[in-house]
Amino acid sequence: MLKSLRNAAVALTLTLATQGAMATETVKVGMSGTYFPFTFVKKDQLQGFEVDVWNEVAKRNDYSVEFVTSNFSGLFGLLESGRIDTISNQITMTDARKARYLFADAYVVDGAQVVTRKGSDIKGLADLKGKTVAVNLGSNYEQLLRANDVNNEITIKTYDTGIEQELMLGRIDAFVMDRVSSAQLIKEHNLPFVQAGDTFETIENAWPLLNNAKGEKLQAELNSALTAMRADGTLGAISNKWFDADITAK
Amino acid sequence: MNFDVTYFLEMIPLLLGYLGLTMKMASLGLVFALILAVNMAVVRVLKVPLLDWLVQLFISFFRGTPLLVQLFLLYYGLPQMFPLMVGIDAFSAAVIGLSLHFSAYMAESIRAAILGIDKSQMEAALSIGQSPLMAMRRIILPQAARIALPSLMNQFVDMIKSTSLAFTLGVAELMARAQMEASSSFRFFECFLAVALIYWAVVVLFTQLQNRLEKHLNRAYQR
Repeated sequence: MLKSLRNAAVALTLTLATQGAMATETVKVGMSGTYFPFTFVKKDQLQGFEVDVWNEVAKRNDYSVEFVTSNFSGLFGLLESGRIDTISNQITMTDARKARYLFADAYVVDGAQVVTRKGSDIKGLADLKGKTVAVNLGSNYEQLLRANDVNNEITIKTYDTGIEQELMLGRIDAFVMDRVSSAQLIKEHNLPFVQAGDTFETIENAWPLLNNAKGEKLQAELNSALTAMRADGTLGAISNKWFDADITAK
Repeated sequence: MNFDVTYFLEMIPLLLGYLGLTMKMASLGLVFALILAVNMAVVRVLKVPLLDWLVQLFISFFRGTPLLVQLFLLYYGLPQMFPLMVGIDAFSAAVIGLSLHFSAYMAESIRAAILGIDKSQMEAALSIGQSPLMAMRRIILPQAARIALPSLMNQFVDMIKSTSLAFTLGVAELMARAQMEASSSFRFFECFLAVALIYWAVVVLFTQLQNRLEKHLNRAYQR
């Protein structure tokens, strides 16, 4: 009976074999399938930024990648119990996680981002003096801005909603939002905005691996693939495809 | 109101494709739960020493803790203690979890039904030399089945809907599919309405089946 159960389960595991006869190693990658546009399903097809990055890694490292979709709350349990090899769901490298897991190099760098209108003279955090800058209610960006604004030269406005409308209308000169969300917002609504300058208060997202021999091996292999993909621009190209911005660069 | 009818209509056949998986989980769960439940109910009614105590403990635990907690214990917790258990895949773990959980409820429904059968039935069976177990199987349980049916169906319907928890173990079933589609289209209402209607239709279908089955079992009692 267990055998028939297993067969049924195999049939239903979301498998996207990227490699055929050449594949040497199977790598199981867990993701939620519910985080647009990183990992999502459209018309029964699992896709997104994460899927593209892994298909590229698979090509370079001769992996057969098997995507396992699970509710986010189950992903770390799947990793802990060795049912998947890593999680590809924009997992942030926190100190607590770093203490327990190995991480491959960061493939997405997120953080507070200044966003302004196209053609604006604001090129980054340093240009905000004397300007009106908006932040969303409930974010810690006001404190972050204040910390970078010792002489109180930035006028900060807090909004509940409609921050992008205000920038469009010119009532504010820029707003601060996390880089990934702002890239999505600009792309999704086709807004005439640009991300100005580097992120501050950076957070890095990467693939956690179990701290064992296999994890160490994967870590080395994934890092060499990521380095190569960075060097030849493939990683940036995948990012641009989904976000019209490079969220993978530091 | 901004209801995308075309998208909604597209979602229904797409989601129906995953109904099979949901029903496979629920029906396997039903079979195992019923087998367990009948045995536990008999053990309790006959007050089998030691076993009765174990069954009470089992029922107390599986009724006393949330199904989600049980699934997590089974799939993520136990393999940390017993590494061999990693071999159980998500689908099997979901079926096992559903079976154990609902068998606890079903055992009590069946026990209630057995207790509802007049004592004279058992006494008559014993008087002609049947053993208590034989009497249970041949005389009491067939009568109890009729009484237990409505409340067993209650639990089966609940089990069908509880399969939606299997996505936390990585089984991409009906509800998981609806969530994943909604996350890319942002058409939450259309997706979840479609999935609600599918669950509802299935339950209505089983209710019809129950009505027929009840009629069938009631034949001998009609005046």
